[in-house]
Amino acid sequence: MKHLLIFFHFYKTYIPWSFIITLLLGFVDSYYIPAVISKLFLTVFAWYVTNETSSKRKLTFYKNLGISTQLLFVSMFVLDSLFTVFILFLFKLF
Amino acid sequence: MILEVDNIELNFKNKRILSGIYLKAETGKVTAILGSNGCGKSSLLDIIFGNLKPKYELIRIDNKPILKPLYKTGFIKYLPQYHFIPDGISIKTAFNMFGVNWAKFASTFNAFKKYKSYDISKLSGGERRVIETYLVLKSKSFITILDEPFSHLAPIHIESIKTLIEEEKRDKIIIISDHMYRHIIDSADHIYLLKNATTKEIKDLRELESYRYLSENALNNT
Repeated sequence: MKHLLIFFHFYKTYIPWSFIITLLLGFVDSYYIPAVISKLFLTVFAWYVTNETSSKRKLTFYKNLGISTQLLFVSMFVLDSLFTVFILFLFKLF
Repeated sequence: MILEVDNIELNFKNKRILSGIYLKAETGKVTAILGSNGCGKSSLLDIIFGNLKPKYELIRIDNKPILKPLYKTGFIKYLPQYHFIPDGISIKTAFNMFGVNWAKFASTFNAFKKYKSYDISKLSGGERRVIETYLVLKSKSFITILDEPFSHLAPIHIESIKTLIEEEKRDKIIIISDHMYRHIIDSADHIYLLKNATTKEIKDLRELESYRYLSENALNNT
């Protein structure tokens, strides 16, 4: 449970960007697999930007809690994919 | 527990930052690293924690080589020079995540009581530093690294942090670095000087003058 809270705290800074992309995908088409693949690219891009900028420093917080950078971004991808599928599901309903 | 850091070599482009480093730290002792600006102290601490990968490194705990970054073992906590708690996290949540008791903290640092539900970004730099230092010192670990814990702190807080270090060292290895050398000398059981990319163990404080880390007679003025 504690780990889930930690992962969510990391993920929440990316939610606005992810949400905008999900909305765009929802309007263009609402296929799940292309949406999840686009989120995989978004995660890789976020990883790259974090590693190349001063944002890298905030990873020390998570490392102090024993969580590696890889695990952090994998968890972000999983949470983001679930969130994306849920939003697209709502698009299909309405 | 004994931590040994050996044979570190770190280069940035063509510049040699660290070479032939040896450092030994043990439970119950505070091990200090002194050195002038830019000599590589923070890089060395980053390497020990696992934040930075050098060309060569050998880290041993109780004579056993540790092949993965130390932070992955869960043994270690690290206070870097910069504010490491991300904005957007409340102080209460940070204490929960680190498994540290807020009530005990508030009883030691009375002026902070009102901040419990504040976002960490609402605090001043010095206040934030006190909280970060406290969390790193009090959370469960076997090794604690403190990079400039006294910088930007009010004198009264410096004394509180020194007392905490004294308490926590009973069960932990504490490695500390700061430019406020008088506080370091007060707190440390062993001192290493980082100079010319390598470590020198300081047996007599006068060596800090002979190695020109301190000016002549600086120690007489304490």
